[in-house]
Amino acid sequence: MTAPASVPAPAATAKAAASASATPPPRPAGRWKPWLAFGVIALITAVTLSPQLGIAFSLDAIARNWQNGAAKIVQLLQPDWSFFPRTIPPMLETLEMAVIATAVSTLIALPLSLWAARLINPHRVGRGIVRVILNIVRAVPELLYAAILVAMVGVGALPGILALVLFNVGIIVKLVSEAIESNDAGPLEAARAAGGTQAQINRAVALPDVWPSFVNQVLYVLELNVRSGTVLGLVGAGGIGLLIDAVRTYFRYDQLSVIILEVLVVVILLELVSSAIRKRLV
Amino acid sequence: MSAVAPPRPSRTRGRVVASVVVVVVVVAFWSVDINWARLGNLPSEIVRYLWLMFSAPDWSKLGEALYQTWRSVEMAWVGTVFGIIVATPLSFLAAKGFGPPPVQAALRGVFAVIRAVPEIIIAIIILSVTGLTPLTGALALAVGGIGTLGKWGFESIDGVPRGPIEAVRAAGGSTSQVLRWGVWPSASPEFLSFWLYRFEINVRASAVLGLIGVGGIGDMLTSYTQYRQWGVVGMLLIVVVIVTIALDAISGAIRRRITEGAPVHDLER
Repeated sequence: MTAPASVPAPAATAKAAASASATPPPRPAGRWKPWLAFGVIALITAVTLSPQLGIAFSLDAIARNWQNGAAKIVQLLQPDWSFFPRTIPPMLETLEMAVIATAVSTLIALPLSLWAARLINPHRVGRGIVRVILNIVRAVPELLYAAILVAMVGVGALPGILALVLFNVGIIVKLVSEAIESNDAGPLEAARAAGGTQAQINRAVALPDVWPSFVNQVLYVLELNVRSGTVLGLVGAGGIGLLIDAVRTYFRYDQLSVIILEVLVVVILLELVSSAIRKRLV
Repeated sequence: MSAVAPPRPSRTRGRVVASVVVVVVVVAFWSVDINWARLGNLPSEIVRYLWLMFSAPDWSKLGEALYQTWRSVEMAWVGTVFGIIVATPLSFLAAKGFGPPPVQAALRGVFAVIRAVPEIIIAIIILSVTGLTPLTGALALAVGGIGTLGKWGFESIDGVPRGPIEAVRAAGGSTSQVLRWGVWPSASPEFLSFWLYRFEINVRASAVLGLIGVGGIGDMLTSYTQYRQWGVVGMLLIVVVIVTIALDAISGAIRRRITEGAPVHDLER
């Protein structure tokens, strides 16, 4: 069963025997491939950096604006703590939006992910339609949805929540239906053979099986929502992002740094809590 | 005998957790400032706008849309390349057994902090130096990339089998030789696939960065949303979806080829 390539040619064996092991083995073929890949990458990078076709990378502009930038960064390093009380209500709104969006999308995503899993739903066409729609939905970032929804339903937390829900459903259904498919098919077949209806199978076998991975994804989505909920306000969709937009138009980088620190603390705390919950789950 | 069912496992903890979750959700719903009355006619509104956007997409602006898409993809590409160039050496320093321990801890902290800040905020900070240009977007994506690539990188180096590393050391290899011959052969497939994955992330993020005005497809999309030219918005969404899915497919195919190896040809034919 050995591949022909690994069997040395008779001539090479004879030569190796003659020179008594001193010659190194021949170099593997195809060593030019990484260099070719490297060349292609370098070429694309050169094109993207060129002033005509690309994004015009110029150290010149950076050198010219360096003074201005340095002043901003000094400002950034001196947070204006008196601003802190004003950041609390919008930060709470971000958290509320994240919780609501997570709850709503969980309720929508649970039946959909069962529907999209091959082991549970044998109808190929129905499954395919759900997957295609969700792939399309996931291809657009939530901030772009938020920008459009703000124009549709007006400024506030509602378009932000809708944008988050739209994006979350796509993620949860993809990850959870894949988790269901990677599970052992045995128990599902046993339940079916015992004459269980689909509802009974879902209740007794499928859901308990995916429960840990489902909770895992919901926690992950909650983290994502808090993180992107902080910037949704930049397009008018509620939360602390509204404040970020305000301080950035007045170039109040000392206030911006208060907000950034607050976001940092909230995100890292949430990460710690959810990783603690994950450890309990597994 | 034998008729007694085993005692049910205690459910108190589950109930406590469930009620805490319910309370948090209810409080969130109760305290958020939303005009719930508006929710009633929302479905019909959304159908109306979907009709406005997709019944007759305005293809006359397709040329500009493709140009802006190219600018976004360029931002994503340059951001990925710069991110790789900076993050790879840093991830070696942050891995166990290569950098000095204080440097290790500091770098891991820096990666965590960067990951907690959204790219768009990084861009707002950087634009004070570079202005509202695509370069700002690329640099913001590069900095964001350092956070994720650095973390994935040191985790993957930590997971490399110790045998080859010790063998190279025992044979008298220098640190750079250890990295090249002990670490890189087992870590490189993971590294390459992280890089591609980060490129996929950057393609999405570069569209978002347009919202603050650094150019690219996001910029165009917000402008036409504000002009309420829904036909153009619909066309732009179609372009974004197709480009993102196509780039994901290409990069996903390359990733599978790297992590699973070449397709195996049947030799017994």
